[in-house]
Amino acid sequence: MTNRLSVLSGTVLIAVLVQTGVGQTQTISYADAATLLAKECGADVKKFCKGLNLGNGRIQNCLAQHQAKVSPACTSTMAGVIASIQQRLAAQESVDKICARDAARACRGVVPGKAHILGCLLKATRIVGAKCSQAITDAGWR
Amino acid sequence: MSIRRFRNTLALTVLLAAAGDAGAQQLSEHQLVNTLGQVAEAASAVDVAMLAQELAANQGKGIASLPHWSQLATLPQFFVEINFENSSVAIEPGSYRTLGLIADALHHPLLLRYKFLVVGHTNATGDAKRNLDLSARRAEAIAEALGTTFSVAPNRLFSIGVGSEMPVDPANPKAADNRRVQLLNIGLVK
Repeated sequence: MTNRLSVLSGTVLIAVLVQTGVGQTQTISYADAATLLAKECGADVKKFCKGLNLGNGRIQNCLAQHQAKVSPACTSTMAGVIASIQQRLAAQESVDKICARDAARACRGVVPGKAHILGCLLKATRIVGAKCSQAITDAGWR
Repeated sequence: MSIRRFRNTLALTVLLAAAGDAGAQQLSEHQLVNTLGQVAEAASAVDVAMLAQELAANQGKGIASLPHWSQLATLPQFFVEINFENSSVAIEPGSYRTLGLIADALHHPLLLRYKFLVVGHTNATGDAKRNLDLSARRAEAIAEALGTTFSVAPNRLFSIGVGSEMPVDPANPKAADNRRVQLLNIGLVK
């Protein structure tokens, strides 16, 4: 699902990233994604989706149903926001795997647990490679 | 934004008067992660079902001093204002960012092992039973948005609404600042 969404809205996401000025990283925070959604879709949500909560895809479905009247900026932002949330999630889920070798080298003897390993990796800047470093950045865990 | 210090918790109130309010920027993910991660070693597990039971048996009498509810004061937590449409579970777009910030914090490795309770509070204007019901549905709406839109594992999220049973200041139950959302770290996911 992540991949399909990414392919579908890749171009939109790039626009989103450029717009928010975080082009140097591949993902944006959930907070920034939510802010973009409110900024570009807030007026349409208030107009067409009265009484609906954000969760369970309700706002997304509502905006899709009213797509003819919803602003084009909102429609493209919605797709980009969903893709960026999925990308942030994927980045967070991939850190363990991408950083496993660096963690084995740099964090021997560290108390097990994601938070402890992350703390170790963040300090071991000389040992941690570019890929692991980028994965931590993409996960938003700096 | 006002910051009030409780015994050993940092409480943050974020006022989101309008969409894009600059005040919303002041609540940071780091603050949330640090606040929610201050877990005492001897913290006892919170039983959400017991909280609901105590609440149901004491409606109209206040709940802050009840055995299970009074335990919550010692847990890592913060208060935040999330705005809804009138009499509705629809979160105002102006408050989406606050939800996103909470999601960022809950996805951080320091907090991944923990579960969280969303408590909805209202002020004491209007019908008490209606307030209780609306606060429960709004707390549930927040947990639902975190658990779906923002991909927080639903088994880490619990919600309960207490209406106006836990006023900020018991002398001023009708004050607007009683309308707030409380997020508590209620211990390790089993």
